[in-house]
This record gives sequence, structure tokens and C-alpha cells, in this order.
Amino acid sequence: MSGQGNSRRIFLKQVAGASGALAAVVTAGAAAAAPAIETPAGYESLSPEEAAFVEAMVNVMCPADGLTPNGVDCGLAEYIDRQLAGGFGHGDRLYRSGPWRSGKPQLGYQLPLTPEQFFKGGIGAAQTACTRRFSKRFEELASADADAFLQEVAAGKIADAKVPLGQWFNGLVYPLFVQACFADPIYGGNHAKVFWKLIGYPGLPAVHSQNMTAFRGKAFPGALDPKSIQDFS
Amino acid sequence: MTTKLPKRTVVFVGGGLTAALTSRQLTAKGVDVVVLERGGDLRESAAAKIPSQRDELRWGVQNRLAQDWAVETYTLRHTASDVSLPVRRMEAFLPGEGMGGAANHWNGQTWRWSEYDPVLRTRLESRYGKKAIPASMTLQDWGVTYAEMEPYHDLFERLFGIAGKAGNIKGEIQPGGNPFEAPRSREYPQPPLEITEAGQIFKAAAQQLGFKPFPMPAGNSTGAYTNPDGMKLAPCQYCGHCERFLCEANAKASPQVLLYPMLLQRPGFELRLYSHVLGINYDRAAKRAIAVRYLDLQTGEEYEQPADVVVVAAFPMTSTKLLLHDRIGEPYDPRTGKGVVGRNFCYQVTSSVPAFYKDRWINPFMAAGSSQTVVDEFNVDNFDHSGLGFFGGGYIYTATTNGRPIVSRLVPSGTPRWGSKWKQANADWYAHAFNFSVHGSNYPHRENYLDLDPDYRDAYGQPLLRMTYNFKDNDYRMSEYLTNKAHEIAAASGATMVGAPAPRRGDFDPGIYQTTHVTGGTIMGADPKTSVVSPHLQHWDAENLFVVGASVYPHNSGYNPTGPLAALALRLGDDLLDYSGRPRRL
Repeated sequence: MSGQGNSRRIFLKQVAGASGALAAVVTAGAAAAAPAIETPAGYESLSPEEAAFVEAMVNVMCPADGLTPNGVDCGLAEYIDRQLAGGFGHGDRLYRSGPWRSGKPQLGYQLPLTPEQFFKGGIGAAQTACTRRFSKRFEELASADADAFLQEVAAGKIADAKVPLGQWFNGLVYPLFVQACFADPIYGGNHAKVFWKLIGYPGLPAVHSQNMTAFRGKAFPGALDPKSIQDFS
Repeated sequence: MTTKLPKRTVVFVGGGLTAALTSRQLTAKGVDVVVLERGGDLRESAAAKIPSQRDELRWGVQNRLAQDWAVETYTLRHTASDVSLPVRRMEAFLPGEGMGGAANHWNGQTWRWSEYDPVLRTRLESRYGKKAIPASMTLQDWGVTYAEMEPYHDLFERLFGIAGKAGNIKGEIQPGGNPFEAPRSREYPQPPLEITEAGQIFKAAAQQLGFKPFPMPAGNSTGAYTNPDGMKLAPCQYCGHCERFLCEANAKASPQVLLYPMLLQRPGFELRLYSHVLGINYDRAAKRAIAVRYLDLQTGEEYEQPADVVVVAAFPMTSTKLLLHDRIGEPYDPRTGKGVVGRNFCYQVTSSVPAFYKDRWINPFMAAGSSQTVVDEFNVDNFDHSGLGFFGGGYIYTATTNGRPIVSRLVPSGTPRWGSKWKQANADWYAHAFNFSVHGSNYPHRENYLDLDPDYRDAYGQPLLRMTYNFKDNDYRMSEYLTNKAHEIAAASGATMVGAPAPRRGDFDPGIYQTTHVTGGTIMGADPKTSVVSPHLQHWDAENLFVVGASVYPHNSGYNPTGPLAALALRLGDDLLDYSGRPRRL
């Protein structure tokens, strides 16, 4: 967990700053006691019911396989939660004045809801549609059924009286999912740079003036061990 | 309420590239200048420092260096009979904020346009006949020639240390350069960037088809460079964080590196940051701009800055909005074709063909904003349009500017959007694919224009600018022709797989980034009936008001717009030196 690693590092920096002589002794103890100082688990925005949907969804969209752990273990639900709880979820950089009108799809999102509210409204609508179809909540579905349901939502085939579920999924949920996979791990997703390792993105510092010629047309060794913002902080 | 300040000689609206270049010419001769810029100085910000500079989410996806759409956006309708709606989160183009403006977060692709671009109507009529241009395509000559702009192109390339290979020096075609290039007086000040692996593949395929590939002219410095003002660039690190980012290495030629730090040392130059311009006081009877009104965002106080000369030097959208807001010049009316402000609003028309190479390492993350290889055979009027049913064109190139992983991943068509197969496709192809892309023109159409929205307002209570805009048949046909050409090159490149040509189709979608190049709205020309400013960029209805930037372009070419607007800005500086000594219609 990136949060755990970060807390431990800060703790060690503070100890080392206080007393160099003591540091070696305390380091061993701190490492052993690491779980005790782990960032508390929990969501800032999602309720347990909402989290159940999101966790089930990211585990369907990113199943545990030979490539990565499941979506929750990759931090994808954590990423989405933090985005919804933060500036993005509250409408940062989004024009939010009326009058409110609907229009062509190219005009994009046109609702007065914040992204966080819209995200949760969509969860509710998706759960209603899911329960109607399967007599089960989304998180109770077998993964093949859950996957097929998401495909239908993405294709705009699941109707809701109020929430435009196709736009909800393609315009809000899916971009957050992709960001959760590939954004820098400081945002809570892409745990341990798992997606960067998967594709071979070397991350930071990206100082490639020599590499440009040395590794033109060749495998770049740095892609095997990506570095992120935390490694340079 | 409003504090009236002492009069100054020249006041600029907007502290971006053009204001800096014009100010450079003026302050060199001691003319007093004040620049009003709505943003701050970002040189010490997280955007310009490692490690936060390399944050794709923050700068690349959330666009935190671009205009804050919560404060001010634009509305759109595809035709005049539609109801406009605000673009609540704009992706299509990226106006900047802060000292240096959008030219800080640019890629650095620096073109001189074709020699005949400023006389495009004359060129097309002479080649295809007087009736060849449809009445709806409101092309017009600029009233300035390339030859007049050439010395200023040359100066700008020196100031910005542009890296490239000349294709045409004084009429002599140069091997390795662009044979369609307008004649230049001398070689670029710096040699080209390193070619990428994608560039090698593209170059071989293009040559095999008989085309003449060449390196993109780049504002990314190939070496340590000192410009004529003594300002320095460091060598580019090919980090793949150019457009939408600031360069922490000071390797990207930009106003905040090369121009403003120099200007701030000059006596007579003043930059007022966090100054949001609200309007221009205009004396309709005297036909003069009197002062610029602005809000100091740090105090909430409103000021009036009188000046002998007012220069509107904002992003095209803002420059047009200000003239419409204070009704300086007659607003354009598409029903009658009369009026000028808002006329000839253009965007650009791009498309891509992805190609995949199982056994080649493309390594997209090793790239600069301009580290591309290009062919220019199908741009503008470099090819015969007889019988094609369209005018215009574009350059075709390796669109390898970065490998930022949230956005820059290519997977073969038919790949699922999530799940194990999706992950596998990303693992297989991320480092082994690139786009053969088209950077295409967009010619004006009488139905495409800008005016003020009747319903929506910005955070300061002013009307939003409204785009009435869509792609037209000319654009769709051009895109189809050019995309097929890009596909031909890709198909000759030895790829494992080549995507089907996907030309631009459907209505304009401001949620999709194509290029950040919007033009027009305050266009230049020799006829006051069809232009807002004269060939010297002097407003026809206000002798002491000038407009500079891409808003003065009568059409949008298949090239990136920075070169000509920089040349026009430097030329304006010299024109204003002349004007301030002896005010008159230039």
C-alpha cells in the first residue's frame, strides 16, 4: 500500500532527524510495527453501499490475473473515492451556472449536479436496473454477469427515468477508471506502479536526452522499474 | 468605485507571447509599456518543478494550466437555429493563464506558413479560376505579404532558438528540409531534434512513396542556446511533458523563459499580474480607445488604465469577446454577411491512423513536443485540388510527442475497453505503436462565427462568448483525402497492423482535443467591410487600438499558428514605434 509506505517513510525521517544514533534501533522496531501506523482504511466520500458497487465494478474491470492484482488491490476504488471527495468531485474547473438545458451529446455534461452527486446518482440508478434484471445487487452478481451488465450500461442500453446511464459511465466513470489505473500512485490508484510496470512506462525523472539515441528502437531498462513522484519527494 | 490611473503610452490586454514580442520592440526604444495579465508568475510553481511537473493527471488531464472553465467558458451551437449551451468542461482548446500565456504550455511546433497563405484567395482564384471558391467559403487575402513578414519570422526564430532544417534558403531547395517551405533568408538557428524511432519508420515509408520527409521545426532546444537578447535555453531532455506542461529544464522556448524575465529588467516595462480585463473604454464619436478597465484579482478593486495606444493581445476568444462587449467594430451578421467582429472563426481538422509494430520499440515516452517527422506534400495548396471538391489540406506526421500513460496508449481496434484482454493489449502495444496523423486546415465558412451569448455569463457577470460553429463539407472531404494519404504511408511502413482510416466525421465536439488553434474573430484585411483590423493590425474604427494574435488570421491553415502570429507581433512593435512618434492611420 502506498499510504503505508509513505507514513513509514515520514516516521523514519522524523526519527532520523531527532537522533541519528537512535535511528538504527528505532528503524528496526518501526518496520516490525508497521501495520500499527498504516493509514486507516476507509473512504472519504463513498458510503459502504456505494463502496460495494465501486469495489465490485473495479474488480470486474480489472480482474486479478497474471497481469495485475484485482482492482481494489490496485487502489482503483481508493482513487475514485478520493477524486469524488476532492476538488474534482465538487465541480472544480466545471462551469456550473444555469440556465440548465439538455442538448446534443457533443455539448457534453449539462446537469447541475456535482460530479460526486452525479456519480452516486448513477450508482443508485445502476443498482435499481441491476436488481430489476437479476434480482440481485450489482456486487452480488457473478463476474460474467457483472461484466455483461457494465457493457450494456456503456452501450447506453440500460435506461433510467432520470439518470443518463450511458453518459454517466462513458463521461464520468470510465475516465476515472482509466486515471485510477495510470495516474501517478500519489493519487491512491496504480498501487506500487502496477500499471506502469504492466505497460513499461518508466515514469520519472524522464531525463532522456542520452536515452533518445542509446535506446532508440531498443527496450529501455528503466521501464522495468518505474519511478513515481513519491520516489523523488 | 473605479480608480482612474495615470495615463500610460501603451497598454496591453493579455500577457502572453504576442504582448511580449511587441513590447520587446517598443521597450528597446524606451517606449513606456504596461501589460495586464489575469494570471500569475508560474516560474516557481509546482507546474515548473520536479517532481510535480511530471504529474500527468494534474496538468495533462485536469489541464490546470489552462483557463478555469468554472470562471469563464464558451457556449456552442452547431448552427444558428440551435440553442447554445455552455461547454462546461472544455477540452477542444487550451487558453492559458499566467505570465506568458498559452505559449508556456505549448509543444513548440513552429511553422512559417506557405508563401501564398497571406494571399490565399488570389492564389486559388489564379490557379482554379475566379468561380472556384464557393461563396460560403469567406477566404480573403491578409493585406500583408510573406516577404514583408520574413525578417520578423527570422527574428522570432532567433529569439526562440528554433531547431530545424531549412528546406528553402532564398529559393534554393535544401536537401533534408521541407521543399514546400516559403523561402527563408538563412538556416534555422539550431539543428533539428533527434529523430525518434517512429520518425525513422515514417521517414523510410514516406521516402519509399516518393515524399520528402523532414524534421518538425521545434521550439524545444537541441542544445544550450543564447538568443540575441542574451536569454538562454538549456538542452531538451525529451521527457514527453511539453504541451499542457511548463518546462522545468528551461528547454522549451516560451515567453516566461525568454521574454518576460528580459522585459522585466527593462526600464519602462511594467507587468501587472492578476489583472483581469473587463473592457475597453471607447469614445465612439472620436473613434478612439480611451482606457482599459480591469479588476485587480488580489484586492477586488476595479481600475481604469488610460493610454495613448491600446493593444488587445489575448487568446483569440478573449480578444473577440472584448471588442464585441464594448461594441468596437460592427458585429458580424451571418444572415446578411455584413459586419466584421466575430467573422471567420476557424478551428482545425485532425485525424489519425494508428500503426502497430510487434518487433519495433517505439518508446513513446522519449519524445519532445516537436520531435516529429513530417511530410508537407498534401498541405494547403501544395498539391493540385482540381476535381477534388475541397480546398486546403494538412501536414502528415508521426504524432509522437509523449508516452504519458493515462492518455497516450494505442491499442488495436476491437480491443475491449476493460478486463484482462484490455490489460494485455496495453502491455503488448504501449511501447510498440504510434499514430500517423493529419494536422489539417479549416477554412472560414459564412455560417461559422463568434458573438456574445444571450443567456450565459462568466464569474465576473459578463456574457460568455458564443461559438456558432461546425465542420462543413469542405472539412469532411479534406479530412477523408488526407487521412487516406496518411494511411498509405502507414501501410508502406512495415507495420504488424494498421488501423483503418478514420477521417473526421460528425459534428464538432468540444469535449475532444484536436489542436489548440482557434483563429479569427478580429480578422485583418485591406477592406474595412470585411476586416476588423488593417494589414498593420490597426482597428478600422479606432486608430489607436490594435489587435494582435491568431484572432487576426482570416483563415486557419494546415500549420500550427505560432510562427506568423509571432512575426506579426514583432512587426506590430516596429509599426507602433512609428505610430507613437507620429500617430495616424498606418
